Amino acid sequence: MARTNYPERDIQRHSLQTRLTHDTVAIACIWLAISGLFVFVPSLAAAFPDVAQGMRMSHRIVGAIFIIVPLLSAITAPKGFKAFLHKYFVKWTPEDVEFMKKFVPYMLGPKKVHMPDQDEVKSGQRIADGAMVLAAILIAVSGLVLWLGTSVFHAGATAELVMRLVHDVCFILFIVFGLAHIYLGAGIFQPYRGTARLMWKDGKVSESNALYHWGFWARKEIEEGNVEVAKEEK
Amino acid sequence: MSEEMAIYYDASKCTACRGCQAACKVWNELPSPIDFNAGVCTGTYQNPADLDPHTRLIITFNERERENGYGVDWAFGRRSCMHCTNAGCVNVCPSGALYHDPDGTGLVIYDKDKCIGCQYCRSGCPFDVPRHTGVGVQGAGIKIDKCTGCIDRVRNGRKPACVTTCQPNALDFGPRSEMLEKAHARVDALKEKGFADASVYGETECGGCHTIMVLKYDRSMYTHVPENANPDGLTEALGFMKPLAAVGAVGIVAGLGLSFLTGVGYKRDRLYYDEKAHDEIDVDTGEVVKHIDKEKGER
Repeated sequence: MARTNYPERDIQRHSLQTRLTHDTVAIACIWLAISGLFVFVPSLAAAFPDVAQGMRMSHRIVGAIFIIVPLLSAITAPKGFKAFLHKYFVKWTPEDVEFMKKFVPYMLGPKKVHMPDQDEVKSGQRIADGAMVLAAILIAVSGLVLWLGTSVFHAGATAELVMRLVHDVCFILFIVFGLAHIYLGAGIFQPYRGTARLMWKDGKVSESNALYHWGFWARKEIEEGNVEVAKEEK
Repeated sequence: MSEEMAIYYDASKCTACRGCQAACKVWNELPSPIDFNAGVCTGTYQNPADLDPHTRLIITFNERERENGYGVDWAFGRRSCMHCTNAGCVNVCPSGALYHDPDGTGLVIYDKDKCIGCQYCRSGCPFDVPRHTGVGVQGAGIKIDKCTGCIDRVRNGRKPACVTTCQPNALDFGPRSEMLEKAHARVDALKEKGFADASVYGETECGGCHTIMVLKYDRSMYTHVPENANPDGLTEALGFMKPLAAVGAVGIVAGLGLSFLTGVGYKRDRLYYDEKAHDEIDVDTGEVVKHIDKEKGER
């Protein structure tokens, strides 16, 4: 006899520490982007010079948070950090390649284009997140040189100009990938509805969404029993 | 005033009395350290060692032994803002605090109220001139300080404070064309006297400076007087960043907006995975939509 009872089940995807780290860094990023605009856009700073001065100071404080929080998180949870690296530096599967080939058509036609199964981190996610992390590291290093090189020591004219160029280029890179990240991660894109919960709520993903987004990973987790019933079907 | 003006400095007439340094400080109300032995010994008469947040002008001292072994060449130089036409500091200033005198004198001036203390101007200046007050890690109260050409005096028909105090007439102020003419005539005279390396500096550097210097010796005898000085090419590259950021942001927002529109009305059925049968089931229809054949290595 065919089964008729399909309870709603959830899979835990992100730990509390991961969520706290992500959310702190995300808020810091948004604040840094806003406060950075006061240095990046002359008319903004010229129109509000006092606000610009305050924004510059906050850029330093929040910049320190942006750097310290992920470092602290990695130091306090070395196993988690190792697992994080392991998820991102994996060999590409044929499905990963297919995902990338279909990505743009899918984004512009999700009703017609169907994506292949994926592991815990999608190939596109690995590229986008990787670009953001790389940009973040370069932003942090160049930001430190611009900050300390004009206060604690004198970095020199060329070093400061190069660092400013790096800071600006990486900021642009970060904004482009960051906006796409928010669009998908916050579930603004209809097929991604429910993904905001992963980082901004309990860190869980419904079984159905997990099967849709990360099929290989979801089935493995379910087979290993890493799934909990959220709601029994009546 | 619509005529381009220039500060003229003749290193061959300068006696390094440093009256100009003192006059600058007095007129612009810039304090000096008054504590006992507060000054740092530089090993020369140069004092202070370099420009600082309260010193907009210094006379530099450099010397070298003569090749014939008799005595030394002692070069006095003037280190202050060169008031460039292609001013790196103006190019990189993000807040519009630095600008050229709208009266057309060519002097590079600034509005301290608009300065946000980023110190980019210092990195943009090929002469390493701008200095900043209140430099600290917290970033509060940092403001630019550099020579303004005594714009307040100039606007009232007077010469800069440093110029008016110069006893040997090494300093002068007037229309740039006249100052250049005077400089070239002086260099010609110096060459006739045997100073073969004498030159005019500031005529073509950075698009033409509004500080014109007569150098008695070759450039290497003076501090921060680079050859073919121009703002670093990176200052121009930085100018492309804003339009690039705007194009990037607008492009991504437009692309995502289009993506959002194509996704309107998207729906999908709830899926359930039967881990024993390895079947993915459409909950609404009870239909198996995918079977994972473990024996074939599917996952």
